[in-house]
Amino acid sequence: MMTIVLTALQYLGYILIFPGFLFCFVIGMLLCGIDRKIVARMQKRVGPPVLQPFYDFFKLCGKETIIPAAASKTTFLAAPLVGLAALVVLQLFIPIHGFSAFSGMADIIVILYLLLIPAMAAMLGGAASGSPYAGIGLSREMVTIIACELPLVMVLLAVGKVVGGDAVTFSFSKIANYQLANGSLITHASLIPAAIAMLLIIPGETGNHPFDTAEAETEICEGLLAEYSGAPLAVYKLTHCVKVLTLTSFFAALFLGGIGTGIVVVDALILVAICIVLTIVSISFVHAITARLKIEQVFKFYWTIVTGLALISLVLAWYGL
Amino acid sequence: MSFANFLDYHHFPVYSIMVLFLGAFLIVLFGKNKFMRNLLAFLAVSISLACIVALVKPVMLDGEIIAYWMGNRAVAGGYAIGIALEVDALSLFFALLISTAVFVSGIYSLQYMEHDNNVPEYYTLFLMLSGGVIGLVLSGDIFNMFIMVEILTFAAVALTAFRNKAHGALEAAFKYLVVGCIGSTCILVGIIMLYAQAHTLNFAQLSAVIPGNMNNATKLAFALLFVGFGTKAFIVPFHPLAADAHGAAPASISVLISGVLTKSGIYGLIRLTYFLFQTMNLGTFQFLLVFIGSVSMFVCVTMALAQHDFKRLLAFHSISQIGYVLAAVGLCTGLGFSAGLYHAMNHTLFKGLLFLCAGAVLHQTGTTNLDELGGLSKKMPWTTGLFLVGAFSISGLPPFNGFASKWMVYQAAYQKASETGNIGFLFVTLIALVTSVLTLASFVKVSQSVFFGRLPAKYENVKEVKGGMIFAMCLFAILCVVTGLFPSAVTKYLTEPAARAVFSVVNYIDAAMGTGYAASAMGENLPVVASFNFNELGYWSPISWLLILCIALLAVTIVAVSGKYDKVSESSEIADSKYDLFFGGEKSVYSQVGGGDLFWGFKHNWRHYFSFMHDLHSGIVNDYSLWAIVALAIVTLFIQIVL
Repeated sequence: MMTIVLTALQYLGYILIFPGFLFCFVIGMLLCGIDRKIVARMQKRVGPPVLQPFYDFFKLCGKETIIPAAASKTTFLAAPLVGLAALVVLQLFIPIHGFSAFSGMADIIVILYLLLIPAMAAMLGGAASGSPYAGIGLSREMVTIIACELPLVMVLLAVGKVVGGDAVTFSFSKIANYQLANGSLITHASLIPAAIAMLLIIPGETGNHPFDTAEAETEICEGLLAEYSGAPLAVYKLTHCVKVLTLTSFFAALFLGGIGTGIVVVDALILVAICIVLTIVSISFVHAITARLKIEQVFKFYWTIVTGLALISLVLAWYGL
Repeated sequence: MSFANFLDYHHFPVYSIMVLFLGAFLIVLFGKNKFMRNLLAFLAVSISLACIVALVKPVMLDGEIIAYWMGNRAVAGGYAIGIALEVDALSLFFALLISTAVFVSGIYSLQYMEHDNNVPEYYTLFLMLSGGVIGLVLSGDIFNMFIMVEILTFAAVALTAFRNKAHGALEAAFKYLVVGCIGSTCILVGIIMLYAQAHTLNFAQLSAVIPGNMNNATKLAFALLFVGFGTKAFIVPFHPLAADAHGAAPASISVLISGVLTKSGIYGLIRLTYFLFQTMNLGTFQFLLVFIGSVSMFVCVTMALAQHDFKRLLAFHSISQIGYVLAAVGLCTGLGFSAGLYHAMNHTLFKGLLFLCAGAVLHQTGTTNLDELGGLSKKMPWTTGLFLVGAFSISGLPPFNGFASKWMVYQAAYQKASETGNIGFLFVTLIALVTSVLTLASFVKVSQSVFFGRLPAKYENVKEVKGGMIFAMCLFAILCVVTGLFPSAVTKYLTEPAARAVFSVVNYIDAAMGTGYAASAMGENLPVVASFNFNELGYWSPISWLLILCIALLAVTIVAVSGKYDKVSESSEIADSKYDLFFGGEKSVYSQVGGGDLFWGFKHNWRHYFSFMHDLHSGIVNDYSLWAIVALAIVTLFIQIVL
């Protein structure tokens, strides 16, 4: 009886504290703060303090939440929460060095679909607000997702082929174990194009510059978020930050596994360091040097250049190079 | 014969067909009375369902194959002359899907059709159609299969045109009639050619005799039958018919056309390729089925993105999902079959649910035009919720059933690719995954333009549909969730026995013709029972996953609510402009912000493809007939060249 209670508490701890909510909340916000600072420095601005996302979040939570008369209330309010919960669950499945909170319950295809849920929730929430700007935002978000999905799938298939050899695998724990035994997959020559493709997919999935057409503030008033205010808006901002963490740690688990000590706390710190570097490389640098693309350019970019890179990897991996 | 003999389960197959036809005739006689009519229809569909469900234990679990000879005219002198029903796990699997869909659609019809004229005729045709399909899948005799195909085709054509005052109904029915007849004729000619070669019509005996008689005539028969059953499954290039038929038919009939008629086509294709012609070179079948499946998947989902009518959109998605089934079945592995049949079952469930939701919208608002509708979620909360369940299922979001089966399809294709070293199968996985996202995109569009967004003034007074219709939709929705949450139970008790049945042709033959017949008739052609594994590549444990998601959601909600998340300000009686939507500072009537085309970026990059497709789908029945003939020519050539 005692052991059951303890196990339950342990899993609850995983979900609520590490690597669940608290971890996601703090580190996600931190990554976004660093991102804003770096971009500002690259543009010769002072930039906000690194803790600015925290201040924004708590300030927003204290603001009045207005529900437009045209909105359907339940969907409007529930959507942000569902999106956030799904992302946190996703984070639970991503292994940190040898440690993973829940292994054997899902594989990379599940993760592929879990990544869709926050976007899906945001779209339904935006649609439920009844705003025409949200309608445009929704269509752009959808096209962005379609654009990212094809290269992302190819990257995952390539990784599965390299790890599994003849017995192809979709299992995340196998990918982690393979890297523990054989070193990081990034050192595998055939996967380098895939890693570059994945780096380019990260800003698309998180909706960062230059692929933030769906939320273009100056153009369509933040699209899906046009009618959101107060606490729900704060949750959306948080979701965006957690998404940065999730995707960078996803990258780390796919390509940079095998770096670590075996002590969970140290490994978590290493992961955070890796995520910071990845955020700077794939989000901040790209943000600072580009201007926002049009939606058809986003689509074209992903389905030609990024897909091409992923395809090269896939073919190379297939023929065992 | 004592009474207990009537309750012997060996008679149940024939009962399940008989009650439906009997119900059809009784409704003609007594159908003027509304109560009588509803009672008869309800009894017919529920007895039929009960008979099928009662067969699950002996056939699925114990592995018995029931061979039932009408009037006890069993095999004599090595020839099967009598009319036979033969029920193995594969037949029963399809019968189970079909009778479930028929049952739910029947319940829905009770209230859905009450304002229509000629309701007795509706029920007569409805039961004829249902009986035809169940007869088709339980039949052990290829000529009876043809008769059932004719019954169901004509019932379906008549039902398509049932609301013949509606725009396009007669046209849709006419197209269906013409191309459906081309298909039926192909089947008939194919059967005649087989009979000329093998001198028998019994399915089991044909399966044993044909391998020894493989010549140009039987190959042509194969091509004819393939195209014939293809038209019944509406696979590419026959998909435009489905769109027209679904658009015009009442929603309860759309459920049958999509969930039941297409399944009969798929069943026919499986029987044809894996039983009748099982010794042909399987690699070529694989190529044909997988290729057509992948093309259907992709072409139809892109066609769906371009639709402006709720039911036409659903129709294209229906064929797109059938593409998954066909591609998975064509892989010819244990996992592939299991995945394909699982997806076939899910297709019946979620597609049924979605068509019923579309029917509910049509029933309350009088239109299915996506550009006119909007904002119904406040008026029809039940329909909205159930629609979302269906939409998530078909787009394959976990933990709904579409996810479980698509997950298996991806794995099966990928496994096949790595086993054979053929990179082509990899693209099947790729197309399947991309199609899945496009499906999601399309359903986001539907939910935005029907249930969310702005409510047009003319729908201010729309009400929720009545309880009976909601009940029918709930049945499908519950099944969608249950089959998604317990995939291992579904595969173990339903799809794996059915998949095993496909690989045990010899048992099928022996059950009808007597033990040892297959070995003596087929000689060296006797198929080696392929060993196949159901090992999966990854992990998916929906219950624990759902549990974690629920805890996470609960935690977020508690934190949010304790932080006064639900303390919101809503519009009250006193008008306040802060509750209005933001239109860039203009009054909404002057606003230049339109919803626009939801997939503009996608369509712009693919404009050449879409304009090509637009020209191809001319809507002229001559063109579609030509496609059927071209398809026949191509399949014939393909068979002649590769074999």
